[in-house]
Amino acid sequence: MASKAKSRWADDEADAALEAQLKREKEEKKRLKAEKARKLEAERQAREAAATAAAQQEADSTNGPPAKRRRISPNRETSQTAEGRDASNDAPKLLRFEGGAFGRCRSVENYDKLNDIEEGAYGWVSRAKEIATGKVVALKRLKIDPKDRSGLPVTGLREIQILKDCDHRNVVKLQEVVVGEDTSRIENIFLVLEFVEHDLKSILEDMPEPFLASEVKTLLQQLASGVAYLHDNWILHRDLKTSNLLLNNRGQLKIADFGMARYVGDPPPQLTQLVVTLWYRAPELLLGATRYGPAIDMWSVGCIFGELLTREPLLQGRNEADELAKIFELCGVPTEDTWPGFRRLPNARALRLPPSASSKTPGAGGSAVRARFPLLTAAGAALLGSLLSLDPDRRPGAREMLAHEYFRQDPKPKQEAMFPTFPSKAGQERRRRRETPNAPARGQRAADLGAVDFSGIFSGREKEERGGGFSLRMV
Amino acid sequence: MAHMTNPLATPEQLFQRRSFGALPMDLQDAVFFATQCLTQAAGILLELPQSITAQANVLLARYWLVEPMMSHEFSDVSAAILYLTAKCSDLPRSPRDLCLVYTHLLSRTSSTFFRPAHLPPPPPPLSPSNQPPTQADYAAFHARLLPLEAHILASLSFNTHVALPHPLAVTYLQALDFFGQPRRGPLARRALAYLNTALLSPQLLYLTSQPHALAVAALYNAARDVGARMPACDWWEVFDVEREELGFLVVGMRSVDGWGRKIRAEAIEGWEGGMVTREDVERELRRRGIGVGAGNENGGGLGDAEEEMARRMDEKMAAMEAGAA
Repeated sequence: MASKAKSRWADDEADAALEAQLKREKEEKKRLKAEKARKLEAERQAREAAATAAAQQEADSTNGPPAKRRRISPNRETSQTAEGRDASNDAPKLLRFEGGAFGRCRSVENYDKLNDIEEGAYGWVSRAKEIATGKVVALKRLKIDPKDRSGLPVTGLREIQILKDCDHRNVVKLQEVVVGEDTSRIENIFLVLEFVEHDLKSILEDMPEPFLASEVKTLLQQLASGVAYLHDNWILHRDLKTSNLLLNNRGQLKIADFGMARYVGDPPPQLTQLVVTLWYRAPELLLGATRYGPAIDMWSVGCIFGELLTREPLLQGRNEADELAKIFELCGVPTEDTWPGFRRLPNARALRLPPSASSKTPGAGGSAVRARFPLLTAAGAALLGSLLSLDPDRRPGAREMLAHEYFRQDPKPKQEAMFPTFPSKAGQERRRRRETPNAPARGQRAADLGAVDFSGIFSGREKEERGGGFSLRMV
Repeated sequence: MAHMTNPLATPEQLFQRRSFGALPMDLQDAVFFATQCLTQAAGILLELPQSITAQANVLLARYWLVEPMMSHEFSDVSAAILYLTAKCSDLPRSPRDLCLVYTHLLSRTSSTFFRPAHLPPPPPPLSPSNQPPTQADYAAFHARLLPLEAHILASLSFNTHVALPHPLAVTYLQALDFFGQPRRGPLARRALAYLNTALLSPQLLYLTSQPHALAVAALYNAARDVGARMPACDWWEVFDVEREELGFLVVGMRSVDGWGRKIRAEAIEGWEGGMVTREDVERELRRRGIGVGAGNENGGGLGDAEEEMARRMDEKMAAMEAGAA
C-alpha cells in the first residue's frame, strides 16, 4: 500500500464528483444559514408587531406552514442527488461513542443485608436488597488487609475494572461499587453484583443423577460463549472452575469471580504462573511457563467439561507434582511430537518420564480421554480430548469450540428455559464451605517441582473402563 | 468498545468546578497545570511509560471535577494517582520509590526538573535540603498515600479505565497512508506531542472529547505544522469527527503552549515553575484579598484558622450538594 506511486488523494473522477457534491453541500448550508437569518429577522419583526393584529397575521404567514415547507425541501434535494450517485457519499453519518460519566461511589447504606452466602478467597458475599428499588443483589465485600503496606489489593481493583468493562449475558454483571458511609477513611468496599441463585459446584455435589447430555451441552455452550467474549476483549480469567460458575433459575450460566483475571496483550506479557486453582491448572503453568495465553482458560474449560459429565472434579491432584502425574495419566506423557518444545519450560528440564518405547499397552503414552468417558459421543470425546491437549497451541479457542460439531449433533443443547431448577442454597441458608482448593494467593512462591519421577504413573490403568458402555438417559 | 471510549465530564461537573471553594479559575488552572507537569516529571523519573503517566493525568483531571482541589495537598494527589495507575498496570512502583521521586521533585533547590529552561536557576540553598527522605519522611508520605488512594478510587467509583488517543493517532496515520512516506517521523512525533500537551489543557480536553476526536485533531495540527498533504475532502468525517468539534479541539490544542507560559508567569506571584502548594495558593488568595484573607487583615492568626475552617466546611457542603444533585 505504501509503495503505491500515485497518492490515494490524487484527483480523479470520484474526487471531482465528491468535490462537486461538497460544494453543493456548502452552498446548501449557506442557503440554510441565510434562510435561518431571514427567519430570525422575520420573527423579530413579528415580535415587534405583535401588538397589532395585522402583524400577527403576517407572522403566521411567514412563520407557519411556509417555513415548514421550506425546511423539508433541502432534505428532499439532497436525497435526490444521493440517489443519482453513490449513496455512501451523502451527508456523513458519524458514529457517536458513549463512554458514560464518572463520579463518586454511593454508600452501602443504600442496601439492606438479607443473609450471608459464602466466604471466598477474596471476600465475603451476602445477599442484599437495594432499598430504593427492592432489587435483590449479591454484595461482595473486598478483603482489605489493613497491614498491607501497598494499599488496596490490586486483584480487587483488577476485578472491579474488568467487571465494569464487561457486558455479556454469560458474565456476572457488576452493578456498581459502594463504600462505607465514612468516605474519609475507606475501609469497606462492596461490589454490587447481580444475584444468581446457584453455583455449579454445589449443584453438582447435590444432584442425585448427572446432567443429561443435552444439559451439559447447554452449560458448555454458555461457558464457551462467555469465555469467548472475555478472550475477544483480551481478558484472561485465570480461575475458571465449577464453583466460579453461577447458574440462575432460568438455566443461564454466568462466569463469576474475576479476582485472578487480567487484561493481556499480544504478544502475551510476562505473567505469574501462580494462577488457577490446582485441579483446573493447565500443564504449561505447572511446568512454570510465564508466557501463556487464552489456552490456559481452555484447559480449565476442558476440566469443567469432564466434571459436568461425572459430577466429580476431573484431576484432583494433591500438589503440583501429583496434579501433573494425574494429567499425564489421563492425557498421555508429553513427547516432542505431542508438545513441541515443552522441555524448554522451567520445570520440565528435570522431569523423568516413562520411556515411550516401553509403553506398548494400548492407550499408555497417549490420551485416555476416550476410555475414561465411554458414554460420550465421538464428537464429544474429540472436543474434550482437544481441550485437554497438553500442547496449548493445539487446544481450540473458545470461538472454535462454539463451532464444534458436538453442539450440532443430537441431542441438541437443551433450551435454557427448559432447564431444571434446583432448590436454592444462596436464597436462605449459608452455603457449604467447600473442599475445593482455592486459587493460589498472590506473592506465594511457585512450587519448584525439582526432579519428579513420573515413570510409574501408568501402573493403575487397568482399573479404567474400556470400550463403549451405554446409558439409557441420553436426552 | 471500552478500549476506545472514556467516561466524559457532565456539564454539571464542569460548571460545579467554578463553585468549588470559590477558588478563582485562574488559580485552579495554575494548580492543575503545575500538578499535571509534576505527574509527568515523576512518571519520567519512575521510568514509567507515557501510556501509564498519561492515564494518571486523565484520572487526576477527573478527580478534581469530583472533589474540591483544596481538600488535599496537590503533590500528594499526584503521587497517589500515579501510584494507583502504576499499580493497576504491568509496572507497579513501590511507595518508597514514589516517596524518593516526589521528595526530589518537591525540594525547591534541587528540582530543576520541571522548571522551564528559560528561567534563571533557583537561588543557591541556604542549607542543603536536597537530602534523601528520612524514615520519618517516608512514614508520613506512606500514611498520606494509602488513604488518599482509597479516597480517590471512591471519588471515581473505582473506575480507573482510561482510553488514550495515542494508539488511535498512529492507526489513523496508517489509514491515511502516511507510513512508508519519508516525512512520517516528524508528523507522528508532532501528533503525539500535541496529544501529550493536551493533557495539560485547562479546557480539560480529555474529559470533554473522546479519544478518536483528540487523535484526529492532533493529526490535523501536526499535518499543518509539518506541511504534510492531507486529503482534500473532509477526511476527519471518515474518523467520525465533526468539523465543529475538530475546530474546537484544534484551537484548544494549539493554545495550550502559550497559555502555559502565561499562567506560569502570572497566576501566582513569586511562582516560577516548580510545584505549587496549598500554602502558596492560600497566600495568593490572601494577597488578592479573597477567600481566606477577605476582611481578615487585622484579625490575626486565630481568626485565620476559623475562617479557614469555615471555608473548608463550605467546600464540603458544596461537594455534598454537588453529590446530591
